Amino acid sequence: MPHRILIIDDEDDIREIAAMSLETVAGWEVMVANSGAQGLVRAQSYMPDAILLDVMMPGMDGPTTFRELRKNPATQHIPVLLLTAKVQASDQRRFADLDVAAVLVKPFDPLMLSRQISDVLGWD
Amino acid sequence: MDPADRNTLNETMNRMWTRFLPELLGRLDALEVAAAALSAGALSAEQRQRAVAAAHNLAGVLGTFGLAEGSVLARKAEELCTRADGTDHESTRLEVIAAELSSLISNRKEIGSA
Repeated sequence: MPHRILIIDDEDDIREIAAMSLETVAGWEVMVANSGAQGLVRAQSYMPDAILLDVMMPGMDGPTTFRELRKNPATQHIPVLLLTAKVQASDQRRFADLDVAAVLVKPFDPLMLSRQISDVLGWD
Repeated sequence: MDPADRNTLNETMNRMWTRFLPELLGRLDALEVAAAALSAGALSAEQRQRAVAAAHNLAGVLGTFGLAEGSVLARKAEELCTRADGTDHESTRLEVIAAELSSLISNRKEIGSA
């Protein structure tokens, strides 16, 4: 059975490339959301195996969305991987304080994204 | 990955590049506007915010389209726009980065092409 991934990112290009990459390279099922608020709703209804979550979004940003996912008993067990173009040490320390499965850095290689996620989550 | 699948992925990426190119150019324009405003000593808060957001997006996406150097340049532009306080050096640097990004975007070769 293919893995099910929810991608939450406000940027159309990044969201669509990531979705296409995971579908084409790994054959996974992908659901997308273009905001943190939409992501919370879709996480609860879609119940993905993992969530790829952008950090910088208008309105509800990635860390806030992550904390809301953790507050909800229905979604608190879902592994979350942050996706960010922030590479400064101060940002990385801030993300390390969150209990996320991993922090993936943009830009990503569409050929390798599914492998990165699989390695982090121990998927074959 | 099967070579046929790789070709499919490359072709899809090239189509996406064409599709999203107007948005990428719009973000480049925001950087050029900010550079000109900075040079004139009139960078507004809104222009700065737009430029930072544009540079952040370009940093995240250009490398995904095979332009790793573009992501590095855009990251420098993001840092510059965040802290710029109007010195000549900063405005010149931002103009140079924007010109380099423009050249990279204009000259991008299709992924998978020789």
